[in-house]
Amino acid sequence: MTARPVTATTLAGTPVRLWDLPVRLVHWCFVVGIGLLWWSAENHRMDLHFKVGLVMLGLVVFRLLWGLVGSSTARFTSFVKGPAAIRAYLAGQKTGTAEHVVGHNPLGALSVLALLGLLALQIGLGLFAQDTDAVNSGPLNFLVGYDLAKEISEIHEVVFNVILAVVALHVAAILYYRFIKHDNLVSPMISGSRVFESEVATPRIAPLWLALVCAVLAAALAVWVSWGLPPFATPFPWDRPAAAAAVPDASSYM
Amino acid sequence: MRNPAKLTIAALLLPAAALAVPALVQAAKPSPVFKLRHDNFEAMGRAMKGTFDEFKKPTPSVAVIQANAKVLAGAAIKVKGYFPKGTGPESGQKTEALPAIWERPADFTAAADRLVNATKAFQLAAATGDLTKIQPAAGAVGGSCKNCHDSFRKPKS
Repeated sequence: MTARPVTATTLAGTPVRLWDLPVRLVHWCFVVGIGLLWWSAENHRMDLHFKVGLVMLGLVVFRLLWGLVGSSTARFTSFVKGPAAIRAYLAGQKTGTAEHVVGHNPLGALSVLALLGLLALQIGLGLFAQDTDAVNSGPLNFLVGYDLAKEISEIHEVVFNVILAVVALHVAAILYYRFIKHDNLVSPMISGSRVFESEVATPRIAPLWLALVCAVLAAALAVWVSWGLPPFATPFPWDRPAAAAAVPDASSYM
Repeated sequence: MRNPAKLTIAALLLPAAALAVPALVQAAKPSPVFKLRHDNFEAMGRAMKGTFDEFKKPTPSVAVIQANAKVLAGAAIKVKGYFPKGTGPESGQKTEALPAIWERPADFTAAADRLVNATKAFQLAAATGDLTKIQPAAGAVGGSCKNCHDSFRKPKS
């Protein structure tokens, strides 16, 4: 068995590959996805809303998997820290003695957790939600009654506003780093790499084939949910009676 | 000494007041038709959800579909009567009813009748217990909902 070099470092002034491609892709897909979900809901394009919601479900599941097996900067175990670490980070920031954090800093980790958690919650609620006619509804709406689904739909609207607030905080933090601390966080999230002023530990980047495996798993789960969790709650599409084809899709007539 | 003029005024005012007070009370209290109308449509929404939920299950319950079909047929015949003049947006009440209902009464009646016929046909199809007949009939009910909503209900905001 060959031991992996644990402490590979990158010299100051040399670009460090900080964020891998999957992390960056998922991040910017979230940005576009949240916008599309908001727009489609406002404009009653529920067909689009369901499709984008399903893609978002796959993306969130992928990001959670990637947080377990992905590159070192993507893993929850590497960046989620306790309150003591957050206090120490903030104290170090004040005195200017802090070491450079390669990846999410302990405070920023909260932003990652909050946004991922809220997205997961919002998508989960959306699966059961319905509109005023109780006909345009999420793929798992049929598993809950009318009144519960109505409650869920109201919470679905509230959670969106919470997401907006956390996104605003996220953007405000990025602007604070950019203009007050003169630290550009956006361009590494686009290019994937940045230069540090001191020698830092080089992040371990996971292979792309592993990302592909996670993506296939996440996509399969999203498709399975969109079918209403067959075979437990509903038959697979190819096992459904042919007459169903004659029924106009619920969303087409409301 | 009594003033006959004052008495006359009082005699004229009293019945007027007696008439005006209930009229004012009535104006403050919305017609019961708004709630009846809303509840009727909500019952139809529940029955539609109940029906389509069954279609998505591995073994749809014909009994549940039949019960929902009965609710739909019973509610559908009430729709036309729940739109008396003065119960549109001009009433100041919260309503999604569009003025087109009273501007084009023939079209509205036709749309309401289409719903009545579709729910009757659905009830008959449900009675057969044959899902291959029930599903298209339920779809036709949905089509009649949309047909009316497109022209006569305020677009969702």
